[in-house]
Amino acid sequence: MVQVKIPIGPQHPALKEPENFMITLEGERVIDVDIRIGYTHRGIEKLMESRTYIQNLYLVERICGICSFAHSANYVQNVEEILDVHIPKRAEYIRTLFLELERLHSHFLWIGVAGHEIGFDTLFMYTWQDREVVQDLLEMISGNRVNYAMNTIGGVRRDVSEEQKKKILEAMDFLEKRTEFYKNVAVNETTILARAEGVGILKPDIAKKFTAVGPTARASGISVDIRRDDPYASYAEIPFDVITTDTCDVLGRVVVRVLEIFESIKIIRYLMDHLPEGDLKIKTSRKVPEGEAVNHVEAPRGEDFHYLHANGTDKPERYKVRTPTMANLPAIAEMLKDSYLADVPIVVAAIDPCMGCMDRVLLLQQNKENYRNSISWDQLRRYGIQWYAKRGGY
Amino acid sequence: MTYTEASLKEALEKKLQDISVDILVKRSKRIIITTSRENLKKIAKLLFEEFSSQHLSTITARDTGTSFEVQYHFIIDTIMVTIKITCPRDDPTVDSIVSLFPSAILYEREIHDLLGIIPLNHPDLRRLVLPDHWSEGFPLRKDWKPAGGET
Repeated sequence: MVQVKIPIGPQHPALKEPENFMITLEGERVIDVDIRIGYTHRGIEKLMESRTYIQNLYLVERICGICSFAHSANYVQNVEEILDVHIPKRAEYIRTLFLELERLHSHFLWIGVAGHEIGFDTLFMYTWQDREVVQDLLEMISGNRVNYAMNTIGGVRRDVSEEQKKKILEAMDFLEKRTEFYKNVAVNETTILARAEGVGILKPDIAKKFTAVGPTARASGISVDIRRDDPYASYAEIPFDVITTDTCDVLGRVVVRVLEIFESIKIIRYLMDHLPEGDLKIKTSRKVPEGEAVNHVEAPRGEDFHYLHANGTDKPERYKVRTPTMANLPAIAEMLKDSYLADVPIVVAAIDPCMGCMDRVLLLQQNKENYRNSISWDQLRRYGIQWYAKRGGY
Repeated sequence: MTYTEASLKEALEKKLQDISVDILVKRSKRIIITTSRENLKKIAKLLFEEFSSQHLSTITARDTGTSFEVQYHFIIDTIMVTIKITCPRDDPTVDSIVSLFPSAILYEREIHDLLGIIPLNHPDLRRLVLPDHWSEGFPLRKDWKPAGGET
């Protein structure tokens, strides 16, 4: 049979972020997938080398709009490890609270996106409405809906009052009820079953081989969770379960995330009931001694990995980020092979990809003559026409 | 078998006794193996075969000014084991480990793209994050400065 190559993306393939999938088809079947990333490379790692540790706090948060707290928590953990400081218990608990609130809103968001991809927009409307409840909590405590600016080196910047605690617990009761409803929808609704069951199969051995992380790996029956395996913040003290399923398909990924919402609610209740008294932060030096630290946290999408090399000044020597989407990318290619073209969007969406996170660098040009960061509309138009003309277009 | 940091260090030392390595337990859940680049593939193979590690978290590389330091972060039994090697600036090559750890394919392309470190015998060394027409060096090297200052 004739093989046909079709490009999906880079303009918004299945989701509102740029990435290019070159798909080779035989009829309706996907034979091969080639993935091209880098469309939103912003140069954050390079930029961090020229900023102080305090300035970098706010830069690191902007790696990703959804899991911004996972990134900033990871960053401060690295800096604190080299500084050899231990933050107050209360600050640890508040960090954990934010990590879990972030997981809640991210998972609600994802369930909505998954619904949207399979043409089930009612689910999308419902979950995004419920997500607003979490966003309101985040705004109530931090003042921001996204990029909360809560972390600082040596602790957190804002406290949780008694009144806020009450509101958080009320919201958890509400969200628990809603999640019961989604759990029911996920396993009984025929639209979801028809589009998600048996789709995007990722067998455990393949998932391990290609290092899938987070809910993607857990839906293939692999019990990995950094919160349990290498506890950070206050996870070592908190009882919670690691959710896995063994269906290895998109439906499994839905189920894992829905059940993880219950775990997050459980963790948040525990945190609110046991919130210790004490300071919010300790003073640390602005300069960080020479040293190296590696930390990973369980972001909503999986293992988020940060590396810091400090050189004794107030700026990092090298900072490296590996986001969960990057780790899951080789697994996507495996999941798509031998699936139907129509299933591509939902399979891609099922890892909860975040391209902005993954790319991280801005187009910087070394020669001033070629500096193209600001370009007029006319120039851009001419450039576009020439680009296509050179490649045999009109 | 579940390892502790000490028992894993001991097991590694036993298996690696013929190779010149320096094994350090840095803190809980972190072990660092420092070695020369010739030994990389041998050790990676051993981690894969004897310690059934399949999880390569990522590859980190940095420019020290005189050489490149490349670190491979594996996970064995929830413990992160890092292999640390260096390669000189005038011969920035390392052995590719894609044949053992397929997930290394993207990470090796990334260090190739941004630092110009060449993984030998890599199956597909196209650009990963930089534009296809990029011809202006390796942004993460220390002697590379962005044009026009900061934005």
